Amino acid sequence: MTIRRRTLLAATAAAAVASPALAQNYPRRAVQLIVAFPPGGSTDVGARILAAAAEKDLGQTITVVNKAGAGGQIGFTEVARARPDGYTLGFLNLPAVNTIILDPERKAAFNVDSFIPIVNQVLDPGLIWVKGDSPYKTLADLTEAARKTPGKISACTTGILSDDHLAILMVQEAAKCEFRIVHFDGGAQQITGVLGGHVDCAFDNVGGVFKRVQSGEVRGLAVTDSERSKFLPNVPCTKELGMPTIISSSTRGVGAPRGTPADIVKVIETALLKAIKSPEMQQKMDAVGLALKPMVGAEYAKYYADTQAQAKKYTEWALKMR
Amino acid sequence: MEALGHLLHGFAAALTPGYLLYAFVGCMLGTLIGVLPGLGPAAGTAILIPLTFSLDATGAIIMLCAIYYGAMYGGTITSVLINVPGEAASVVTCIDGHQMAKQGRAGSALGIAAIGSFVGGTLATVALVAVAMPLASLALKFGPAEFFALMVAGLCLVVGLAGNNMLAALLMTVIGLLFAMIGVDPVRGAPRFTFGVEELYDGIGFVPVVMGLFGVAELLLAAEKRQTHMVEAELKSWMPTGAECRQSVGAIGRGTVVGFVLGLIPGVGAIVPTFMAYVLEKRVSKTPERFGKGAIEGVASAETANNAYANASMVPLLALGIPSSPTIAVLMGAFIVNGITPGPFLFKEQPELVWTVIASFFVGNVLLLILNLPLVGLWAKLLKIPFSYMCAGVLIFCVIGAYGLKQSLFDVWVMLGFGILGYLLRKLDFPIAPAILALILGPMMEKSLRTTLEISGGSFAIFLDRPVALGLLAVPVIVIGFLLFKPRSLAPLRESDIE
Repeated sequence: MTIRRRTLLAATAAAAVASPALAQNYPRRAVQLIVAFPPGGSTDVGARILAAAAEKDLGQTITVVNKAGAGGQIGFTEVARARPDGYTLGFLNLPAVNTIILDPERKAAFNVDSFIPIVNQVLDPGLIWVKGDSPYKTLADLTEAARKTPGKISACTTGILSDDHLAILMVQEAAKCEFRIVHFDGGAQQITGVLGGHVDCAFDNVGGVFKRVQSGEVRGLAVTDSERSKFLPNVPCTKELGMPTIISSSTRGVGAPRGTPADIVKVIETALLKAIKSPEMQQKMDAVGLALKPMVGAEYAKYYADTQAQAKKYTEWALKMR
Repeated sequence: MEALGHLLHGFAAALTPGYLLYAFVGCMLGTLIGVLPGLGPAAGTAILIPLTFSLDATGAIIMLCAIYYGAMYGGTITSVLINVPGEAASVVTCIDGHQMAKQGRAGSALGIAAIGSFVGGTLATVALVAVAMPLASLALKFGPAEFFALMVAGLCLVVGLAGNNMLAALLMTVIGLLFAMIGVDPVRGAPRFTFGVEELYDGIGFVPVVMGLFGVAELLLAAEKRQTHMVEAELKSWMPTGAECRQSVGAIGRGTVVGFVLGLIPGVGAIVPTFMAYVLEKRVSKTPERFGKGAIEGVASAETANNAYANASMVPLLALGIPSSPTIAVLMGAFIVNGITPGPFLFKEQPELVWTVIASFFVGNVLLLILNLPLVGLWAKLLKIPFSYMCAGVLIFCVIGAYGLKQSLFDVWVMLGFGILGYLLRKLDFPIAPAILALILGPMMEKSLRTTLEISGGSFAIFLDRPVALGLLAVPVIVIGFLLFKPRSLAPLRESDIE
């Protein structure tokens, strides 16, 4: 204990003295990037592409570490609790971070202020989809059916209080209808569930299903965004369908624990932003159907705060329906 | 017949020196991943994905599949030698495999595992070629209701048919299910039995638990006896004898069927087929009392089922684009990064690639056999290390493994705690296997039951409307009824024990 305390003291003292020079020395060793979801998922794929691209500019290895579990709560907690020295960064998934904070039952060990949002990488809009041969040809067909037979049309999410769950609530609110909500764990179960005829429609993100929509195996009814997705130019967006309140996406960027020195944050921001804006990044992300949405500084901070406000309303609603 | 033509082309491509090399390197790395506890196939494959970025798509996929198969076999080595399952699928191998090692038959156990894995893997690939498409669409009919029924049937069969002491087996099952409840509620998201400990939100890690219950408990038991070596018996054989091979033929055949059929259903996981194959083998055996005391059929059935499962689980991936396990999900991620989207259109749009990959499954299975048979002797020699060193080594190995899984110190404590629990249970002669199966199946059962009820709007009548689910639920009822009313005919079986 004594040794650790002494080291800590020494480290603090050194940090205080050497603070201006800190960013010049950073990074001196490998940087850890925590992903709160399992390997192979959309967040992980994007994170690994980013890590590989940004290593060159940062001059150090970026190790992607998957700390999956509890809808991201395990990983986010790890990031929030990490030493704020720039050597531990984390992927912030919005609105997953927000809904965990907003659900009192989760007893989250972090809050909105526990993270410094640095650079956003991806904005993957929501997609409402049905089986390729489903009788529902448009979103209106689906909501009409859900209005006529309340609670009979089943709609599946990729998890409780996920962005997809919130999107269902937004549709219910905008179209005054009621679905029977079924919670699955991730996109693979949705595919089995809908293609096997066990549920009627699914709410997921474009990146997870766009190839199946392109091939005609499933039918995309609407992208929950204010514009169409470039990966699915034939699928209308909710805004043009007259439902502008249905805006839902999974947004993923890199953040650091609160207290990370501003000059170090700047170094990370510069390296990551350069990687995100590179043509190779564009090409690799296009292949996996993930839309880039670079945001930094005030813009990203505002987006983070706005998501929190939007999530609050629907999370409270979801909690009430339990 | 068109398929056969494609397959021959596939072989021509897979057998080029470059692709052979990728498959070989993949098998080697995979075996290494399997040997290192904690670094399971899913995490190991994910870590190695960047390695394949510089290869062309076919080469990358050949290598990743080889890593996957290698990892499935690698876990066997530690299970047999030191009773530490390297990954979930090799838990069952511990039961008889380590007993064989104690009798000086480690070579036989490892040898039959390699042969069984080869046969199971190859036959499952043949079946994949023949029936991939029609069977894959049948698997889609398997919804949450059927899944729940399958899990219940599996648990009841294993517990009901395996125990000599039904009460103890039931008790252990309930304990396993209780431990499975720890963590965030799968539907409401509320923490249960976590006592505010953040690390428990994701539940108790399975790998630390089995490493504790098997590996650490084994060390504690051995330490009691003041042994000089982990295994005191002289090493009798490097290879399975002719008699042992003959004994295993039936087990390998049945293991293949069980592994293949269950591999078609997304989400079953590798541990269920191994348990089922083991229990089936014990049921058909004329001498079930040998099981748990070093029966080679036990090792052969579990290992065969394991690899048949691994190959069969490629069917839902290639034919439907549905990853049926975390490892397969990682593979699918790698496929997509390499510009290949698995699914029904893959066979039409990129037949050369699909058939080359399928051909490389055959090649990979052969390479795995060539790679592992000569090494069996080398692995078995590790048992000659004096106990004092071996004991410390195994413990370090377990600690690193438990930590490495999620870089969590908490998991190390879980492993040590379960090591002590496992030691006490062994002393009290309680069976451990039902608790482990319950721990794995518990969350899956709960989640599928609750999803089923979400789909039906809370009505249990959904199980009556679905013939497959109803049929599966009838199995345990019939078995239990049979056990209650015909105890005599099953007497020899009830004398034996899965442990």
